Amino acid sequence: MSTERQTASTSKHWAPYAPGPDAPWNLRRVVYLHRRAGFAATWSELQRDLADGPKASIDRLLSGKARMEGVPSDFAAVSETLAQRADNPTRLKAWWVYRMLFGPDPLTERLVLMWHNHFATSAAKVGMAGQRQNQIFRESARAPFGELLKRIVHDPALLIWLDAPASHKGKPNENLARELMELFTLGLGHFTEKDVKAAARTLTGWTVEKGVFKDHMNLHDPGEKTLLGKTGPWKGDDMVRMLLEHPATAERLAFRICEIFLGDGAVDPTIVKSLATGLRERNLDVGWAVETVLRSETFFAEANLGNRILSPPEYVVGAVRALELFNPAPSTLILAEFIANLGQNLFYPANVFGWPGGRSWISSRSIVGRYNYAVALVGGADVGRGAAFDPWALARRHGQGKDLASVVAFHAELILGRVPDLSWRNRILDTLGAEAIATAATARQAVALVLASPEAQLA
Amino acid sequence: MFNRRDFLKSSTLVALAPTVPGFLTSVARAAPSQRDGRVLVVIELKGGNDGINTIVPYADPGYAKNRPSLCLPTAQLIKVNDHVGLHPALRGAARLLESQRLAIVQGVSYPNPSRSHDRSMSIWQTARLNPEKQDLGWLGSALDASDPPTDGSPGAVLSGIDAPPRALEGQRSRAATMSGFEDAYVSGSLNPRRAIAEPGTGSDLKAFMSRSFLDAYTSADRLKEVARAKDPGGVYPETQLGERLRLIAQLLKGGFHTRVFYAIQAGYDNHYGQAAIHAQLLGELGNSVGAFLDDLAVAKLAERVLVLCFSEFGRTVQENGSAGTDHGTAGPLLLAGPCVKAGLVGTTPSLEDLDPGQGELKQGELKVGIDFRQVYATVLEEWLELPSKTALAGDFKRLPLFQK
Repeated sequence: MSTERQTASTSKHWAPYAPGPDAPWNLRRVVYLHRRAGFAATWSELQRDLADGPKASIDRLLSGKARMEGVPSDFAAVSETLAQRADNPTRLKAWWVYRMLFGPDPLTERLVLMWHNHFATSAAKVGMAGQRQNQIFRESARAPFGELLKRIVHDPALLIWLDAPASHKGKPNENLARELMELFTLGLGHFTEKDVKAAARTLTGWTVEKGVFKDHMNLHDPGEKTLLGKTGPWKGDDMVRMLLEHPATAERLAFRICEIFLGDGAVDPTIVKSLATGLRERNLDVGWAVETVLRSETFFAEANLGNRILSPPEYVVGAVRALELFNPAPSTLILAEFIANLGQNLFYPANVFGWPGGRSWISSRSIVGRYNYAVALVGGADVGRGAAFDPWALARRHGQGKDLASVVAFHAELILGRVPDLSWRNRILDTLGAEAIATAATARQAVALVLASPEAQLA
Repeated sequence: MFNRRDFLKSSTLVALAPTVPGFLTSVARAAPSQRDGRVLVVIELKGGNDGINTIVPYADPGYAKNRPSLCLPTAQLIKVNDHVGLHPALRGAARLLESQRLAIVQGVSYPNPSRSHDRSMSIWQTARLNPEKQDLGWLGSALDASDPPTDGSPGAVLSGIDAPPRALEGQRSRAATMSGFEDAYVSGSLNPRRAIAEPGTGSDLKAFMSRSFLDAYTSADRLKEVARAKDPGGVYPETQLGERLRLIAQLLKGGFHTRVFYAIQAGYDNHYGQAAIHAQLLGELGNSVGAFLDDLAVAKLAERVLVLCFSEFGRTVQENGSAGTDHGTAGPLLLAGPCVKAGLVGTTPSLEDLDPGQGELKQGELKVGIDFRQVYATVLEEWLELPSKTALAGDFKRLPLFQK
């Protein structure tokens, strides 16, 4: 991918980032990049990117080359084996966590999370069909949206989830019709209840037989329908084409992409519109939009740093990556359970709306839960690691850690990109107690406090 | 899994002095109620409850005509009067009705109802017909006008594992989420609350985080105290809703000064094969609410409690082709507790005299009878004794819901 693809139509709002006095390329921005476009980074990865500058760092993220450690040489084979052996949703979750934690391409796994939220389908109803859907998200994560949409609406999981197989000529139901327009493409306000009824008729015939998509002519209502202002004997694929051509779909996509990369209050309607225009000009090329956002001045603006709340997988997996807990690694089954307890039960969205995200990740349960996870992670046993984390060893390996205060500072830089301020650091040291001595146990307590601090939830 | 220490023996429990959370400012508030301790328990029936098969208008010719396979046989219904009967699974609700503890408000919705889950639920949660991102919840906003509990109890509690609902979101008032006593457990031997800065009074994200974090540890400590009481709880159905209501009862018996509780019962969005699941959900609902009120009655707390059950919309009058129903308009709202004026409120929506809705649709939907904000206004003013005008952005005509 190259910069020629950022043309004039979007350059006003999505001008590329260049380091400068208002937005220096510093450790904070490097940590920020890896938090937003991946699952955090190790100290060495951060230092490498700090030295190499934003262009090279983003190039690496886009091409799946950002991780320089903690990617097993047999990752692909192990992932394949885990996928094949996953015979229940619990193992499915663990497989996905394995990919997030050890895979070479964390940006793609973040996009899979985005698509899982966008086309939210629950294993409670579709069982293991969710695995194939997840793989489609991965394969088509950055393709032109039409490719992903067509694959997903012809995939059993979504059809079963939204009751398509039961929707026949003369006896349609509106579930898939409504959500296809409201959630997956146009958004509210761009279709009417009449369109829902016409769409329900249009989509009849799409069914699932022996776990495979079938388009049954004799179940399809072949009559004329007036859908989104156009009349004809529409079939499902006609509707998909109309939805892809409709300008509102680009807006919704632009919103989704901005939602995962930009933060609370940063998703300004003007910039979303501008990104939507660019998408429309490029056949809804999601990869282009992702790259444009990541390379932009808007993305790296000072006001945007630290205004987004980490979702449960980002918090849980990011902590493991940053602390380099690769060998022995925590149990992916246990990590998946923590992620669920913090509010995101992977493969089990409560409903087709997915997870609202943002401030809804923060509840009294999840706040205590994040602290309890941090304590478990550094302790080791409760995350299925044979060994406890040694903060002194990590700090010293990277040339720091002469005393407790400096261990706190090192981990703050690793996890937050900076020490928020001295009073933050002092509160942590005070919490350890006046008699705290510089043992591994005390340092672990300090790291748990850093990981679970309010500031560390904002990336 | 966890290697749990017995937190009940913890010696590091911080005894919180009158913990008025740091975010309070001196804003004029409504005087506390003389009849202290009135509580509202909201149960959200998530997905769109099929009101027509809940409060069944069996005498309406439109019922059997529109629902060839979903139509419930009249003989199986629990008759309320010559026009309506309860779904047979609502035995628990029937008991409440007989003991004068159930009011059924019929035909509830709002002008031009939306059939989008998200939008309609936002409307019910914010009491705004055009909800904007910054709009607060109707209950959060109402609670903002009163003093929060002074014993460290949260202003509102969501019982369950769900994210806190928008209805409870206020400027100052915030909800804790609790699914069980294990939520009170903070790992390790430190008190992480000490590491958190006191927030300012700002409304930005950082202040939100600090306040939320401090409140969370305060709630956990308060929950620990209740856990120590080891109340075994009453006899509840072994269902998720039963568990959630049991916890609320334990918190009330444990002396929580929380005024608003919330629980979500999901699963009502049945476009396909509705009959069995709907019966299961209604059975769970009726039996759990019955068990809850009985449990509270034994503890002599029932007079203080009002239960309100609502859904974001009803379902289509006509069943669809998949033995299910699609998104509709109006539906019933249930109020339960010894304080209610038992019986039916409002007129039963006709299944023949329908609202035609959008133009050439052959089939219309139920007409809206009562605006939900009227119920909210009545509950806020007459039960919780909180002003409703700001919370609901207007005045709404009250309904005769309570015994005098």
